[in-house]
Amino acid sequence: MSTLTSPQTITLLVLLFPAAGALLLVGRGWRLPRRFTVIVGPLAVWASFICSVNLFLNKVNADFTYWTWIKSGSFEVPFNLLVDNLSIFMCLVITGVGGLIVTYSVGYMSHEDGPSYARFFTYMDIFIFSMLLLVLAGNFVFLIVGWAMVGLSSYLLIGFWYQRRSAVVAARKAFVMNVIGDVGMILGTFVLFVQFHSVRFNDVFVFLNPNRNCPQCLSSMHIVFSDNPTLELAAFLLLVGAVAKSAQLPLHTWLPDAMEGPTPVSALIHAATMVTAGVYLVGRMHPIYDVAVYAHGAVAIIGAVTALFAATIAIVQTDIKRVLAYSTMSQIGYMFLAVGIGAYSAGFFHLLSHAFFKALLFLAAGNIIHSMNDEQDMRKFGGLWRDMKPTSITFLVGSLSLVGVIPFVGFFSKEQILGAAFSKPDDSAAQILWAVGFVTALITGFYTGRMWWLAFWRKPAADRPVEHPHAPPLVMMIPVAILAVLAVIGGFIQTRALGFGPSQVSDFLASAVGPVRWEGGGTEVAVTFLTMILATALFLGALRMRPWSSRFPWAQRLLEHKYYFDELYDRVFVRPMDWVAGFALRDVERPLIDGVVIDTGAVTRWSAGGLSLTQSGYLRNYVLVFVGGAVVAAVILLVRANS
Amino acid sequence: MSTLTIGGSQLDASWFMLLSAVLFILGAAGVLVRRNPLVILICIELMLNAANLALVAFSRQLQNMEGQLFALMSMTVAAAEAVVGLAILVDIFRVRDAEDVDDLSELKG
Repeated sequence: MSTLTSPQTITLLVLLFPAAGALLLVGRGWRLPRRFTVIVGPLAVWASFICSVNLFLNKVNADFTYWTWIKSGSFEVPFNLLVDNLSIFMCLVITGVGGLIVTYSVGYMSHEDGPSYARFFTYMDIFIFSMLLLVLAGNFVFLIVGWAMVGLSSYLLIGFWYQRRSAVVAARKAFVMNVIGDVGMILGTFVLFVQFHSVRFNDVFVFLNPNRNCPQCLSSMHIVFSDNPTLELAAFLLLVGAVAKSAQLPLHTWLPDAMEGPTPVSALIHAATMVTAGVYLVGRMHPIYDVAVYAHGAVAIIGAVTALFAATIAIVQTDIKRVLAYSTMSQIGYMFLAVGIGAYSAGFFHLLSHAFFKALLFLAAGNIIHSMNDEQDMRKFGGLWRDMKPTSITFLVGSLSLVGVIPFVGFFSKEQILGAAFSKPDDSAAQILWAVGFVTALITGFYTGRMWWLAFWRKPAADRPVEHPHAPPLVMMIPVAILAVLAVIGGFIQTRALGFGPSQVSDFLASAVGPVRWEGGGTEVAVTFLTMILATALFLGALRMRPWSSRFPWAQRLLEHKYYFDELYDRVFVRPMDWVAGFALRDVERPLIDGVVIDTGAVTRWSAGGLSLTQSGYLRNYVLVFVGGAVVAAVILLVRANS
Repeated sequence: MSTLTIGGSQLDASWFMLLSAVLFILGAAGVLVRRNPLVILICIELMLNAANLALVAFSRQLQNMEGQLFALMSMTVAAAEAVVGLAILVDIFRVRDAEDVDDLSELKG
């Protein structure tokens, strides 16, 4: 029944193209010509993009079940893919931005030798496959499978340069942090299964629909859904997963270290797609969060606090990629804030816009790093505006978008979130969150300006590694240029922040995450422009401002140590575990377990030494013992027979 | 112990037992004290035949054929044992000049 062009097949193809790409390159794929890798790696992603566009154009909205994976009594896990506007939206972002970044990697990774080159594209295709599985999964089990697999591919790519100790340590840290989140997801799924007896999204959500009209709800289910502790528990456990994956407080420490990976990886996984999976999760689970009000509030608070927290740290970072990493954390904080207060489509619009401008910033930074012989310290840059004009212009577009200057895409998306928080009716807490977001927007302007001043405007640093940087190759420049164009024009698909104009994203996502729930007024637009003007003023001011670090040394130290989170986790978790492991080694393993084994061997050896004396090798000795035994046995038998 | 009638003359059965015991002890003593492997094999045959004698004597006295059957089987085993034993001896003699079983003591502990 399903032909090659039916939506059911196309959906499967979205997943299968990257998987096929990875399979072609895996193992000894590097033995084939290098051109094979160059073609297969990006093509797999672009083919998947074309299929996603096909789903988008055909307005597919369905829950395709392909086969039953596990069936045991009442427990049943189907392999089903949920294709609605939210998952199509995510697929387009992942494969579109992903395709650009994988194409860019063809140039960026060109210094790698054959095996590493093929390995890189294998990992990238595995990542794209995992991420698509995550967003297309129609049940909790496959959601967790995708969730864990993106964690795995993130681990593989952070540790791509496995010869570097710091990269391996960073990869391990990211993996451990992500597994904490995976455990939360799994426990949350257990709770939901116990409550609803199904792992399908649609089966679970149908019970949560306030105006539900399903026959089985009337008979079997009479759950009071408001103020339900079970749902709150499930929502909090899922939030643990979202927080770990999206590097929000307090599970954020892995993301800055993840910058050890190659720059395209940072752009794709640690900025544009994987780290936004937490936002996707909250959006996908919105029927649960809509009734679990405490967990929902926690999402917003975590987002706002992380936004401010990460922005302040970004002020003092000197590594250009780490500035971008902290700004990513901060921007994802905005998205959490948006989905936390119920402005889902605003959060997803920012996800889209952030994917554009942050991928742009990372790739432009990659161009710079590439031509600076892998130097990442901004203090050693300077003067790049003069020496690398095209890259600088694209980086400026990304920066202005990050700061939120009209008409760049970041302005419309960020201001829509702030506007939604500002104007949320009957919720004074949302206004506090708005204030936090407002301050964060100003700090964003400042640290972006500082980055500009250090890397581009001022005179070239005395110890700049390269005097005359070479221009990046076309295969790297074109994706950057496309992203820059998207960052300029992308905002015009949704100008809701201005109070008029189109709102394509919100309209598109309305069927999946619900319509926009409240509208702002004239004050909101005024506040929007106030935010933009102040942030821009700080951006420009940072170019000329004197460093404050001498005036507030304690603040400088606090920020440089990232609020001492790494030190705290080291004291509270790492060192006690080291001590326990050391104790087990010194006082349990060696004396007890090793001792028993060694002593058993010693006893055996000693007794064998004694017994071996009886083996004289003389036949008559053996016969004598044998005959003697027989005589003794005979005597015993005789004595017993006569008595 | 009752008597057995053999060829018209009567003989006390204990004589047979006595002969069997004497033969067995001779065989065992031979295995223990002699060092020539061939002689040891012959002594083992002697012990087996001593046992055969006892079996046949009991069979006759108890009017039960099982003993005689068992003696036949024992002879078969003895023949097989002789074959295997001699084959081993021939093989040993081929690779070394061992006239004494005490020379074959490499497996001592």
